[in-house]
Amino acid sequence: MQNVLTRDNLLKWAPLLVLLALVLFFSVINPNFLSLRNFARLSISASPALMVAVGVTFIIIMGSIDLSMEGAVSALAVIFCYLLVWLGGSVAGLGCIAIPAILLLGAIVGAINGYIHVKLRIPSFMSSLAMGFVGTGAAVLMTGGNIVKIDDEVFRSLLTYRLLGFPLMAYVAFAFLLLGWVIQSYTRLGRNFYAVGGGEDLAHASGVHVKRVRVLGFALAGFFFSVAGLLQVAKLGQAESVTGANLMFISITSVVVGGVALWGGIGGVWNALVGVLIVAVINNGMIVIGIPDFIQDGLLGLLVIVAVVLSTDRRSVAFVK
Amino acid sequence: MYEMQKIEKKFPGVHALKAVDFQVKRGEIVGLVGENGAGKSTLMKVIYGAYAPDSGKILKDGKEVRFGSPIKALEAGIGMVFQEQSLILNLSVMENIFLGNEAQFRRAGLINWKAMADAARKQLKKVKLDIDPSRKTSSLSFAQRQLVELAKVLTLEERVQGDLVILLDEPTSVLAKEEVELLFGIIRDLTKRASFIFVSHRMDEVLAISDRIYVMKDGAVVDVVAKGKATIEDIQHKMVGRAVNKEYYRERRQKPYDESRVLVELDGVSLPGRVRDISFKLHAGEVLCLVGAEGSGREGIVRAIYGMITPTVGSLKIKGKPLQQTTPRFAAEAGVGYIPRERKVEGIVSGMNVFENMTLSQQQRFSKGGVLKIAAEKALARDWIKKLAIKASSENADCGNLSGGNQQKVVLSKWRSGGSDIMLLDHPTRGLDIGAKEDVYEMVRDMSDDGAAILLVADTFEEAIGLAHTIIVVKDGKMQKRFDYKPGAKPEPYDLLHHMV
Amino acid sequence: MNIERIKPHLPWITLAILVVIVSLIDPNFLNPKSMLSLAADIVPLFIMALGITFAIYIGGIDLSAQSMANMVTVVATVLLASMGAWVAVFCVLLGALLGAFSGFVTTRFFVPSFISTLAVGGVAFSVAQWLSGQRSVSMDAAQRDALFGWMIGRTAGIPHELVIAAVLLFICWFIERRTVIGRNLKAIGAGELAAVASGVSVSKYKIAAFALSGGLAAFAGLLFAVKLSGGAPSVANGFLLPAIVAVLVGGTPLTGGVGGVVNTMIGTLIVAVIRASMLYLDVNATQQQMFFGLILIAAIALTIDRSKLRIVK
Repeated sequence: MQNVLTRDNLLKWAPLLVLLALVLFFSVINPNFLSLRNFARLSISASPALMVAVGVTFIIIMGSIDLSMEGAVSALAVIFCYLLVWLGGSVAGLGCIAIPAILLLGAIVGAINGYIHVKLRIPSFMSSLAMGFVGTGAAVLMTGGNIVKIDDEVFRSLLTYRLLGFPLMAYVAFAFLLLGWVIQSYTRLGRNFYAVGGGEDLAHASGVHVKRVRVLGFALAGFFFSVAGLLQVAKLGQAESVTGANLMFISITSVVVGGVALWGGIGGVWNALVGVLIVAVINNGMIVIGIPDFIQDGLLGLLVIVAVVLSTDRRSVAFVK
Repeated sequence: MYEMQKIEKKFPGVHALKAVDFQVKRGEIVGLVGENGAGKSTLMKVIYGAYAPDSGKILKDGKEVRFGSPIKALEAGIGMVFQEQSLILNLSVMENIFLGNEAQFRRAGLINWKAMADAARKQLKKVKLDIDPSRKTSSLSFAQRQLVELAKVLTLEERVQGDLVILLDEPTSVLAKEEVELLFGIIRDLTKRASFIFVSHRMDEVLAISDRIYVMKDGAVVDVVAKGKATIEDIQHKMVGRAVNKEYYRERRQKPYDESRVLVELDGVSLPGRVRDISFKLHAGEVLCLVGAEGSGREGIVRAIYGMITPTVGSLKIKGKPLQQTTPRFAAEAGVGYIPRERKVEGIVSGMNVFENMTLSQQQRFSKGGVLKIAAEKALARDWIKKLAIKASSENADCGNLSGGNQQKVVLSKWRSGGSDIMLLDHPTRGLDIGAKEDVYEMVRDMSDDGAAILLVADTFEEAIGLAHTIIVVKDGKMQKRFDYKPGAKPEPYDLLHHMV
Repeated sequence: MNIERIKPHLPWITLAILVVIVSLIDPNFLNPKSMLSLAADIVPLFIMALGITFAIYIGGIDLSAQSMANMVTVVATVLLASMGAWVAVFCVLLGALLGAFSGFVTTRFFVPSFISTLAVGGVAFSVAQWLSGQRSVSMDAAQRDALFGWMIGRTAGIPHELVIAAVLLFICWFIERRTVIGRNLKAIGAGELAAVASGVSVSKYKIAAFALSGGLAAFAGLLFAVKLSGGAPSVANGFLLPAIVAVLVGGTPLTGGVGGVVNTMIGTLIVAVIRASMLYLDVNATQQQMFFGLILIAAIALTIDRSKLRIVK
C-alpha cells in the first residue's frame, strides 16, 4: 500500500517539478527568460496548444485517444474565416455569429468522430487519425491550397489587446481551461470519463452508458479543438490547410508529459496545463538560450516515452501492441 | 419473497441447471455450496440477471420477473457483491457508491459533492465503515473495499420498491480471520434490511452464517439443509457423493512409476504472492495431481515449472538442473510441455493451421538457418493426426475451426512430438464432452507408459483421484497433505475435500 | 454465400472491379506504357507499406515510417559525398535500428506502439532538421548517377524500380512464409498469449517486426532521395496515410495475424488505381487525403477482427 502511495504522489507532482526545474534552468542560463515579455510570448504560442490538449485530455482519461486534432483545427479554422468574411468580416457586427457556430460545428465534428469509433467498433487511434486526414483534405478542398486572410481588428484584439502584459487570448484560454475543469470535476459526464477509464466493464455494469459517454467525450474534444482553431486564427490572422499542423505531436506529448496516464483514469486538465507549459518552456527556452529548436521534437519524443513508462502500472498489463 | 421454480439452463454439450427450485425468505441468509462445475456459478448468473433461464419461473415479491441484464435485476432489488471486486479504483469511495446514480446530486447540471458525501456517509454507516467518502478507493484495504461494495449494493434500499436480495460471491476469499468475523457481524445485522445468498468454498463459514444451505451437484439441488442440522462432513458427502467409475479413468492402465528417475524437483519453493515452501519430486511415469480451491496457488506452481514465474526462494530443478533463464523458452527446451487451461487463448493459435501449431514450440528442429522445412512439418503433422486420430480435414486446416477435443489433441501433440517428457496439464478436460475426455485420459496413460512425468491440475476430484499416483492438496499457497495412491486402493473424494477447507 | 469465405478474396475482387471501371471510363488507362510508369511511381510508397505490413501483422502499428523516410532522404543526400555507395547500407541499418528501438520500447516498457513509433518519428524528424539545416538539400548529380543511377533506369522498357519492388516483395514474402521469423510473427499476431505459452520469445520477434518496418521505410526514403536527387525533412509527407491504407485494403487487419506482404502489393495497386482515377477526375494529391481517410475507416471496419478486442478503446 505504501508503495502505491509514493508512486501516486510521484506521478502527481513530478510534472510540476520538471516544469519548475526547466524554468530555473533556462533563467539561470539567460535571465531574459524570466521577463514578462517572454512569458507573454510563451502564452501566445501555448494557448491554442492548451485548448487542443484540454480537449484530448478528456479522451485520454477514458483510455481512448483522439488523433484528429490537426485536421479538425485546420478545417474549423478555415470554415471560421470563410464564415466571418461571408458575414461581413467583423465579429463586431453580424460576424459574431461565426464564433458560436464554429464551436457548435466543432462539437458536431467531434461527435461524428466518436460515433464512427463507437458504432463501427474500431480503435479510436485509427478512426480519429483517419478523420484527421479527412479534415485536412477538406481544408485543402475548401481553400484550394490558398490562404484565407481575415482582417478584423476586433477579433485580432485577442492577440493585440494586452491586459497586465498578457494578450487577451491567454485569458480566454484560461477561461476555457476553467470550464474544462468544471466539466471534469463537477459534472456527471466528467466523472463518467474517469469511471470509463478506470474500468469500462465495471462502469457499464453500474449502469453508466459507456457508448454515450464516449461519443460525448469526443464531442467535447471537438468543441475544444474549435476553440483552438479560433485562437490559431486570432494569432495568425489567417487560416489554411496547415493551420493545425504539428498540433498532434505537441498536444499528445503535453498531455502525457503532464501526467495523464495513457491507460486512462488518471490526471486531468491541470496536468494538461502543466504539460503544455513544459513543452512551451522547452521550445521557448531553447530559442532564448540559443539552441536550435529542431532538437525539441526528438527531445519531446524521448520525454513522452519516459512519461508513459513512469505512468504505466506494468502489473496490470497483460501485453501491449 | 424470492423464489425460483424449475429453472433450466442448457449450454452446448452441458446441462448446467436441472429443474432447480430455490427460495429465499425475508431476512434470511441462504448458503449455496457445490463443487466446481456443479452449476453454482450458472445459478448465480441467472439470479443476478446475467443469464436468462431456458425455462422455469422466477418470482420476486409474488410477481413473476424476467431480467434481460444485471441492471434490470438491480432495479428489481437484486444486487451482487462480486468476488473480483467491482469498484473502480481511481474513483473516490462516494463516486463508486453512486456510480450510475449521480443524477440525484445534480443542481443546475453540476454535482453537489457535499450532498453526495453526506449521502455516502449514510450508506457507509449501514456497513459500519467510518472513512472519508472522498478518499480514493485504491487507498482502501481489501476488507474496506468489500464493505464499500456492500454499501453500494445497499443503496438499492432507497432506490427500489420491495425487499432486497444480495448475492455474496466468495466475499471472504481475500479477508483475514478477524475481518471475516467483522463482515459476518455486519451481514447478520443487515438482515433487517435485506436477505442474503452466501456463496463460498469455505464450508465452516457457510455453516456459521447461513440459515439454510442449498447443496448443488451436477446442475441440480441435491439437498437443502437447515441450520444446525448438518455437519461439515455431511454436506461435503452430499457435494461429492458419487461412485468413481474406475474404467472411465483407465485405472487398469495405471502402472507404478520409476522412483529412480526424478524429472522435476521443487525444494522449498516460494513464489511472488501467497505460494510458500513447496517441495515435491516428480518422477518418470508418475501422474502427480495438485488439488486445491480456486486461488489456492496450484496454477502458480505449474507456471513456475514452465518458467513463467520466477521463484523468490528455494530451488526448482528440471532433470537435475535449474533453468538457465526462467523463461518458457528454456523450460520448453528442457523438455517441459504446458497444456494451459485457456485452450483457445493460450493453447492453440486459431488462425494458424494444424502443422503450424504443432511445430510452434519446436521451430529450431524444423528449420535450418532460420528457413523452415515445411515439408517435414507437414509430415510430422500428418503422422500425429493419424496417431491421435485428430479429426481435421488435413494438416492445413485452421485450428480455430476444430472441436475442443481435437484442439486439445493438437496441443498435446505439439509437445509430445517435440519429445517433451514433463507435461504440465492445467485443466486438460475443461469444456470437453465425455468422449473427448476419455481420449485425454487415454493419452495421459500413453504418456506415462512412455515414461513422461505428468503434473496435473484436474477439473474434478474424481478426475484427480482416478488419474493420479500422487495427490498433493494445496491450501492458501501451502502444501496441506500428500496422498500416495495405488490402483484399487484409492480413497474417496471426501478425504481430499476435508483437507482443502 | 458466406461473407467470411469471400473476405480473403475481397482485395483481388476490389482491384479487378476498379481496373474495369477505370478502363471503361478511360481506355487509355490500359495502355501498358502508362501502366508501367504508374506502377513505377508508386514503388517508394509500396516499399514503405511493405514495412508497415510487418508492424500491423503482429497487431501493432508503425506511425514513424514517414518521418523515417524523410530523415533518410536527408541523411542519404548529406552523406553521399563522404560515404559513397555505403550510404545505402548505412541508411537501411539506421532505419532498422530506430525501428528496433520502437520495438524495444514497446515490448520492454509496455508503451503502445502507436505512441512509441510516434515518439521515434519525432526523433527522426529532429535528426532530419538538424542535418538539413531545415532546408532542402540536393545530391551531386554525377555521383548519384554513378552510384545509384541503376535504381531508376529502364531495361527493355521496364522501370528498374519495379524490379527492386519485386525483389523486395520476394524477400519479404520469403521471410513471412518460409522463415522462423515469419512464422513467429504470424503466431504473435494471431494469438500472442498462445505464442508465449509455446515458448516463443515474443519480445525478440516483435522487435524484429519493427526493425523490418524501419529498415524498409528507410529504403523507401533512399529510393525517394535518388529519384528526387535530394532530400528535405518533409519531402515524404503524405506517404503515411496511403501506405497504411494500402496495407489495410490489402487485407491485413489492424488486429494482425492474417494477410501479409502479397496482400499489401494488391492494396498498393488499389491505391495506385484510385490515385490514377482521381487524376483523371482532377482531384489533386492533397485533396485525396480526405478520400483516403474515409477509405481507411471503411477498410479498418471491414477487416478488423473484433473478437480479438475485448474492449474497443
